[in-house]
Amino acid sequence: MAKKIRSTSLRDPETPDVDFAEKRQLVQVSDFSDKTFAGVARSGGIITLAIMAAVGIFLALRAQAALETQGWNFLTETAWTPENGKFGIAAVLFGTVTIAIIALFVSVPLGLGTALFISEVLPERIKGFAISLVDLMAAVPSVVFGIWGVFFLQANIIPISYWVSSTFGFIPFLAVTDGSGNPLTDPSAFTSSAVIAGFVVGLMVVPTQTSVMREAFSQTPLGEKEGALALGATRWGMIRAVVLPFGRGGIIGGTMLGLGRALGETIAVYMIISPIFEINPQILKSGTNSVSSLIALRYGEASDNGLSALMAAGLVLFLITLVINFTASSIVANSRSGAESN
Amino acid sequence: MKKFVSSIFASILLSGSIFSWSLTPAQAETYFPITGSGSTWSQNALDQWRRNVYSNYGITVNYTGVGSSAGRRDFISKTVDFAVSEIPFQSKPEDGSQPEVPLSKYAYMPIVAGGTSFMYNLKIGGKRVTNLRLSGENITKIFTGVIVNWNDKAIAKDNPALTLPNKIITPVVRSDGSGTTAQFTLWMAKQHSSLWNAFCVKLGRQTPCGLTSQYPNFSGFKSQSGSNGVAGYVAQDYGEGAITYVEYSYAKKSGFPVAKVLNNSGYYVEPTAEAVAVSLLEAKINENPKSPDYLTQILDGVYNSMDPRAYPMSSYSYMIIPTEVAGTFSLKKGATLGEFANYMLCDGQRQAEELGYSPLPLNLVQAGFKQIAKIPGASKSANTDISKCNNPTFKPGDKPGNNLLAKTAPMPLPCDKQGSTQCATGQTSGTTKPGASGEDSEGDNSETDPNNPIDPGSGGTGGTGENIYVGPTANGKANLEAYAYEIPKQPWGLNQTLMLIAALLAVLVIVAPAIVVNRINSRKSKGE
Amino acid sequence: MTLKSSKNKGTTHLPDNTILAQQPKKRSLRKFRFEDVLDLIGAAASSFAFTWLLFGWLTPLQSTIGFVVSNFFLFLVMYGLISSIKNRGQEIRDRLVSVLLFSAGIILISALLFVVFYTLSRGQLALGNLNFFTQSMERAGPLDPLYVGGILHAVVGTLIQITIALALTIPLGIGTAVFLNEIGGKFAKFVRTIADAMTALPSIVAGLFVLSAFIRTGVVPRSGLAAALAITVMMLPIVIRASDVVLRLVANNLREASLALGASKWRTVWHIVLPTARSGLVTAVILGTARGIGETSPVLLTSGVSSVTNFNPFEGPMISLPLQVFDFVKSPEPTMIARGFGTAATLLLVVLVLFALARALGGKAPGNLTKRAQRAVNKKSAEDQNRIETLMSKSSVIERT
Repeated sequence: MAKKIRSTSLRDPETPDVDFAEKRQLVQVSDFSDKTFAGVARSGGIITLAIMAAVGIFLALRAQAALETQGWNFLTETAWTPENGKFGIAAVLFGTVTIAIIALFVSVPLGLGTALFISEVLPERIKGFAISLVDLMAAVPSVVFGIWGVFFLQANIIPISYWVSSTFGFIPFLAVTDGSGNPLTDPSAFTSSAVIAGFVVGLMVVPTQTSVMREAFSQTPLGEKEGALALGATRWGMIRAVVLPFGRGGIIGGTMLGLGRALGETIAVYMIISPIFEINPQILKSGTNSVSSLIALRYGEASDNGLSALMAAGLVLFLITLVINFTASSIVANSRSGAESN
Repeated sequence: MKKFVSSIFASILLSGSIFSWSLTPAQAETYFPITGSGSTWSQNALDQWRRNVYSNYGITVNYTGVGSSAGRRDFISKTVDFAVSEIPFQSKPEDGSQPEVPLSKYAYMPIVAGGTSFMYNLKIGGKRVTNLRLSGENITKIFTGVIVNWNDKAIAKDNPALTLPNKIITPVVRSDGSGTTAQFTLWMAKQHSSLWNAFCVKLGRQTPCGLTSQYPNFSGFKSQSGSNGVAGYVAQDYGEGAITYVEYSYAKKSGFPVAKVLNNSGYYVEPTAEAVAVSLLEAKINENPKSPDYLTQILDGVYNSMDPRAYPMSSYSYMIIPTEVAGTFSLKKGATLGEFANYMLCDGQRQAEELGYSPLPLNLVQAGFKQIAKIPGASKSANTDISKCNNPTFKPGDKPGNNLLAKTAPMPLPCDKQGSTQCATGQTSGTTKPGASGEDSEGDNSETDPNNPIDPGSGGTGGTGENIYVGPTANGKANLEAYAYEIPKQPWGLNQTLMLIAALLAVLVIVAPAIVVNRINSRKSKGE
Repeated sequence: MTLKSSKNKGTTHLPDNTILAQQPKKRSLRKFRFEDVLDLIGAAASSFAFTWLLFGWLTPLQSTIGFVVSNFFLFLVMYGLISSIKNRGQEIRDRLVSVLLFSAGIILISALLFVVFYTLSRGQLALGNLNFFTQSMERAGPLDPLYVGGILHAVVGTLIQITIALALTIPLGIGTAVFLNEIGGKFAKFVRTIADAMTALPSIVAGLFVLSAFIRTGVVPRSGLAAALAITVMMLPIVIRASDVVLRLVANNLREASLALGASKWRTVWHIVLPTARSGLVTAVILGTARGIGETSPVLLTSGVSSVTNFNPFEGPMISLPLQVFDFVKSPEPTMIARGFGTAATLLLVVLVLFALARALGGKAPGNLTKRAQRAVNKKSAEDQNRIETLMSKSSVIERT
């Protein structure tokens, strides 16, 4: 094999191979200013690291105190009474995840559709404007979404919730029933529910998701798109065959980034929900909870033990978001669109 | 008439303070800003006082209503100069939680009295009920999940003139640690201990269970944080059927009625300033200056007061003041705090009634003065002179225990007596203020549409007057309007079948041409 | 020196730009025919009519939202049917998907705009009073109307807090980003991983950290400084990440050219890398600022609530705009809620201005200049060329003589 290659090689083995010349050792002589610069930059890095490590370690240490008293019960207990030494995040975590999933149900179709709409449908003239608009929306403070949710959505979503629960009440999680299983019809039963919080949080994270997805789609090679069209594909055919596979990393990455934000959202959720400490699988029914709104609710009156317990809850939330963010960034980095953007 | 006079007085006071704007506070630099946090029960009063002492004396007071529990916690961790709470530090908590032990010295000073009221949102035939009456037992049953519907017979017994609707009761409780919750649960634990203990058993708690600052979680309950949160929920359109426990001022300012509560002599009474003052005549005060709970209240007498004018759920709230220099608290701050405390006990009490509270009587003011004297840095001569105290409940030279307000308190109307009669109106919440016009109570929000205090965008259904449900209609039955969110339920009949057929036909009419054309096209293309 | 001694007079060869200009442009391949418009109108008309029939006449349905939703689905069905008369499966699907994409975009953008305009319109009530911006709430009690009291204290608080946070974040954040990109190494990689991880930190946990590490221990009271610290903890990873990306975009041959010319590392960074990435860095910082200004949860735990204007970040509570919104709307009183919406509208406008600023300054790739900047650069390089040429001619004159 090797012989064959050598024989077919056109290159004269006698001439030195310029392309594969050995890398020369470059000696860099740093002067004083360079050393200072490196030192300052490095110390900047060290300070940053120190701050972040301090946050992480402090959180872990304080949380540990609470976790030790509870052990694994911390994940299965629903009540939150750290003063009596009995607390766990089963109910709050369930609420957090429910709200985040509902948020994704709202945000992913809208975000994906809008990203495709902007990158594939909109004419070039309006595109820039639409992109700025969506990016601007990503900067809208969450408290603004919160007051919109409380003062507008809360009252106006009741008839829809009622209709959904009465029509699709046979699906367990869409039912709204009292303790003995009788359907509730009172408007009060439909306020402050996971659906309302999820909807608001969903709207809040859509812009972030849209811009990540659109960024990925916009990098689809023009040649491939035109190739598909030249072969007779319709626009949808082209999107399905070229754009979506190319931007898959962006879609997953954007979705997870949104999920991370949805899990950590505090104020909007806090303003909307009516906190409970039991698992409520009926998403349209009033009453849910989330880790971050639990912290916002209980930080003031918490004793030292209480603070440790809240820290433990915060730590769990942080770890979950961390895993999601890292998964998202590795998916984006390993995808075609992501590899080209970096 | 009294209302009219007091509102004129308030408007003079308010306009006076508005005029004083142009004057820069003269001694602004001599006062050091002080910071406090705690109770939302008394927050309305504190907010008003904070504003007044700034306008009048240039004293800066920062107050955050975070709930009594959080306020006491802040005081323990010395992040505030003073705290406000309805209950003292829980050195032996009854709900099994850890004791609260402040590290520095402190004292309790009463600041304002008031009634924990039951604000509700209920309509009969689209009209707001304002004359609901409830006995203590029923209140306890509602808040322990025993009574779940407004048409319960027990509530009907309290309200002979009302045909209460078939509507689920939504009890709204506090989600944060709250002194209001503590006061309310203490009352339930003392007065209706069997019901309260049964509730605790149901929740798997130890019995007998006493007061708790965290209302237990219970299905069908709605929890909101802060007095504003619970009152705000009840005041929403979708809050119909909800009832909550909150200081009277919150109901008053959102223009919602509160339930008349049955007292020990068989009258249903509202938490007016007079009713609270009468009740508190029975309050025992811990007069032992050596006790750590010096000046805290013992309310059993209040709950069981035999005076027909008494409102049983009356209490007062304390300011927790530091009595030694520690942490952020300094002598300069002490001087400011002393000045502020004096204002609260004397001049500030003049506005208590207007705000929905009840002014403190002489004995409590005198005791409060003793506490002010303990504040390091506070001027004793200026701040503890009872003859200069401009408090509405006493004149200089009165005996302690004398309360002008209680003396002049009106007797309840005969129709408020337990039995087969029921007054047609409640005297509360501005909804029934006859001819209250903008001029005589400036800034009082009770004039805003009581149907919709939150959303000015969606119009109410009319003026205040016509909108109040006063009793059964002529034929003796309330005219229940179809509820807006309900789809009328009709049984499936011939009509419905015909409608379905019509709908299907309509679909066919629209779809058929397209299908036919498609068929023809495909046949054509096959033919070719 | 080298220029002076060089014998042949050199000319600068500019890269051939025509090749770049010839890159393929996207061609428009679709044509919207008049028939297609008619199809859409027809589908819309028939679906509306049918929904109306359903809701008003045939079934006891009666809800505006139900009407809109049914109308939309019926429209899809009708459009599919009409398209199916003339087209085949693929084309029908394409049309339906186009309609769906269109509606997704319209729904999202209008929903977001609705949130913004809802806030602005309900904020009008408070914004209409000039005192809303010139006074603080210290003279406004619970009984006072809208023409008393304002949010000056919250604006001041926001400005002070964000200034402190920026004073900490900008040097640290950009310094770290420079370290990650220009120094590199294993340690830098580690720092980058940790900084990335910290972007996942929920903002409330940042507040909780400051609360328990500084406030409860008595190191820092509840104050503007504590709030600024919480905002810094939250903002720092965001700024690092964004500036890191921007610095990575600086073309490597610029750095190499500078180093090859004998500039030191420090000079390369200061004179080449940072100026090139300036607009991007500014954008990164401004977007981070917008996040930091708008976030409520870290300040909720750390700043305390106050109604007076407090200029001292080291002592006494200092409220900021988002927290003030949160505090106002807790109250059931209409005046307080109107103030809350007014504050929210102000906050929105601040964020909007920051965003517009970021767009104006940044949003361009390094080296991609505005016309004015391009003209300035051209002028400068023309001057340089003049200078060099005169120098050269002088030196050649000297050499000849």
